[in-house]
Amino acid sequence: MGRIFRGVAVPAFLQPRWREFCKTSHTASMAIVEACLYSINDLDTMNYTSYRNSVGNGNVNCNNVTNSHNSLTVNNVIADENREIMQWLSQIDPRGRHQDVRTDRVDGVGSWLLETEEFREWKRNEGGEDRGILFCYGNPGVGKTYLT
Amino acid sequence: MVSNISSLVIDDLCDRPCEEDTAIAMFYCDFRDQQEQTTINIVGAILRQLVVRGEVLEHVRKAFRGAKMQVGGRGLRLPDMIQMLKQVVAILPQVYICIDALDECLSEHLLELLVSLQDILRESQRMRIFLTGRPQVKGEITRHFTSCLAVPISPKMHDIKRYLERKLEMDTERGAMSDGLREDILRIIPEQISEMFVGASIAPLHA
Repeated sequence: MGRIFRGVAVPAFLQPRWREFCKTSHTASMAIVEACLYSINDLDTMNYTSYRNSVGNGNVNCNNVTNSHNSLTVNNVIADENREIMQWLSQIDPRGRHQDVRTDRVDGVGSWLLETEEFREWKRNEGGEDRGILFCYGNPGVGKTYLT
Repeated sequence: MVSNISSLVIDDLCDRPCEEDTAIAMFYCDFRDQQEQTTINIVGAILRQLVVRGEVLEHVRKAFRGAKMQVGGRGLRLPDMIQMLKQVVAILPQVYICIDALDECLSEHLLELLVSLQDILRESQRMRIFLTGRPQVKGEITRHFTSCLAVPISPKMHDIKRYLERKLEMDTERGAMSDGLREDILRIIPEQISEMFVGASIAPLHA
């Protein structure tokens, strides 16, 4: 996920440009860029090149932003649509829950699974249709709840 | 325990080399959100996480604009969603999907989800799916995926020790702890937990 920088989560691939931009720009255009960046948070796993392609004219470069409000408006419309598309697909984003679970996790616990032949076979992508599924079953709470 | 395993597996997949070619989507089921956890919502949340490349975004955008043009709403139906997921998986070189705690879904949702996954996997054999759940859903899962890989998760002695060590390190009342007590805790508790677990997993067989 993008790091929080001046109140906005900035995708990793945009961070150097964002910092450069913050040094040189004035408040008004900053607000527009913030809005723009905020709406592409869902896409922050994208790399910069594919993001440029996806917005068409690629004017995300912050040096251009201050001089070119028109292209920003185009980007803004696309960014709005991107957000709408994500909402259309689903209102749920499970990555927050993933963060919570991994924060509570004690390092090293359960790592034996990653060494099992079943896990390796599954991960290496061998075998046919049915081998595409790895199912781990166990009673929840036995590891943790009983101890606390 | 199983959620921890899921998060561990997801992180392991994220860490693998060539991650640019790997797309990972996850879903954590929770009994508190049972009403929301319909198949369409789960598939949608997965699809949303797979929009990791410009090509995928453009593909979905086309469908979105098409749907917007239609009269009478533009909500997706499950067959549309499944179709789109299949197309997206075909664009991506490698896709991993992790769904945690299937037993926390309502049984009708679980059944529909498994049928949908079966359908998707039939056409997208490169896709890998990681599932977790309590032992009681095992029958349902192996019925749909007859030769799936199944691994029982039980707390290993090493896991319990590691967990206890961490808790003891974090203990704020250091004065109450001595080496002897620490040793006893690390010896006795793991033994008892293991016994408890064996008891818990055998019990349903006699019920």
